[in-house]
Formats: sequence, structure tokens, C-alpha cells
Amino acid sequence: MDLTNLKLFAMTAKRMDWLSKRQVVLSHNIANSDTGKYQPRDLKPLGFRDLLQRRTEQRGLQKTDAMHINATRVPEKYRPDSKKDAYETAPSGNAVIIEEQLSKISETQADHRLATNIYTKHVGMLKTALGRPPR
Amino acid sequence: MDLIKAIKLSTAGMRVQGTRLRVISENVANADSLPEGPGDLPYRRKQVSFKNILDRSLDAKRVVVDKIQYDKGDFDKKFDPQHPAADKDGYVLTPNVNSLVEMMDMREAQRSYEANLSIIQVSKGMLNRTIDMLRN
Repeated sequence: MDLTNLKLFAMTAKRMDWLSKRQVVLSHNIANSDTGKYQPRDLKPLGFRDLLQRRTEQRGLQKTDAMHINATRVPEKYRPDSKKDAYETAPSGNAVIIEEQLSKISETQADHRLATNIYTKHVGMLKTALGRPPR
Repeated sequence: MDLIKAIKLSTAGMRVQGTRLRVISENVANADSLPEGPGDLPYRRKQVSFKNILDRSLDAKRVVVDKIQYDKGDFDKKFDPQHPAADKDGYVLTPNVNSLVEMMDMREAQRSYEANLSIIQVSKGMLNRTIDMLRN
């Protein structure tokens, strides 16, 4: 049985994937909190629609020979974007506010905890259905 | 694995702050390094700047130390006619190191270091929670 066939599991998996990608972007911002002219970036928020959408198959050039190279481009699933309205910019051109970034980090952490808890609960429900006592 | 990537990026951030702290300590230690003779120059303050490079093994941009440059600010002067490096008017050039500026810089480096450290802690916590999903 593939658990990702169940919508909720697929959604939590996607959510956690997005959260860990966001963690990378935010940690990059923090690491650059003293780099001149650096603009902080963040991931576009993951909407409910994105969670429900199945990943569409990418179509590329047709391969007619085994020696052809695969020309299918895998697009970036989540794209980071620079914020236009920075809260504050230092004279060096750096716009990273550590407090802002850390609050985003804790938000990510809480969302991740939510996703893992939903996953665990759902596994518990499945176990109940299977006849074993839930934990 | 994205969370491990996040930890590695933060480690890079901590490393550059460490280098910065080394340069600051160099400046503070040399705050009284006067010239040896007349016409010589005293210690010149150093400054560190950062940049991003593409780390191919991480597939992400990592922060590294760009350059350690000299501060072009003017030297101070001190009236000390007995000093071997004093000019004909009795003045000695002193380094362009302001200990207050260095202390501020040091605090900033410390805060940035701590911020990076807390990112590592949070990422590690998230990773642990994901691994804990295996338990039940």
C-alpha cells in the first residue's frame, strides 16, 4: 500500500517538503545577515490549491533513439522571491532583519510540528481501522 | 535533504562570523601599535566583507569571506615628543582603531553567530521530528 495515494498523506508530505525548502532559504538569509547589498528572500506561500494539485507530468522532446539525451527540464517546484517592501535596509544595502527571519523560522518549525502530528494521527486512525489499538 | 542543507548553510554563516571575530581581535590587539620611526605608519585597521558563491555539492549559494581590506580612514595623532617615532612637531601617528567601533562590531558578529546557531537547532529539531515519525 502506498500511503501517498491517500490525499492527506500526500498533502502533509508536500507541506513538509515545502517547509524544509523554506528552512534552506531562511537559513541562507541568516547566514547573509552581514553581507553587503544582500536582499532577504522567502518562498511563495503554499496555498491549499497547490496542496491539492497533483504534480503534472513534464513533457519534453520525444526520444526516438536510446542515445538521445533526455531533454526534459525539471522546473523548480518552489521559487524563492525577493521581498520588494523590505522592513529596513542598513547603510551597507543589507536588508536582513534577524528578528523577522527568526520569527519566520519559528513559524516554519510550528508548521512542521503540525504536519508531523497530523501524519502521526492519521497513521493512528489507520491502525484503529486495522484493528490494532492506537497509540 | 533540505534540512541538512539548511544546517550546512548556517555553518558557513558561522564560519564567516568566526573570521570576522578574528579580524576584530586583530584590530583590538593592535590598537596601540605605534610606528617604529618618524615617517613610518602605525597599524591600519582591517575590515572583512562577505560574498556568496555557488557550492556545487550543496546546489545552493554559500556565504564566504570575500576580502579582508584595510580601512582607509585617517590616523589619529598624539602629542608625545619623547617618542622615537615623533615628527618634528612632536606628534606620533596612532592607529585608526576605535575600540568602541570594534566592540559594536564584535557584538554584531556574536548576535549573527547566535542566530545561525539557533537555525541549526531548529533544523535539527525538525529533522528529529521527521525521524520520530518512524516510531509509531
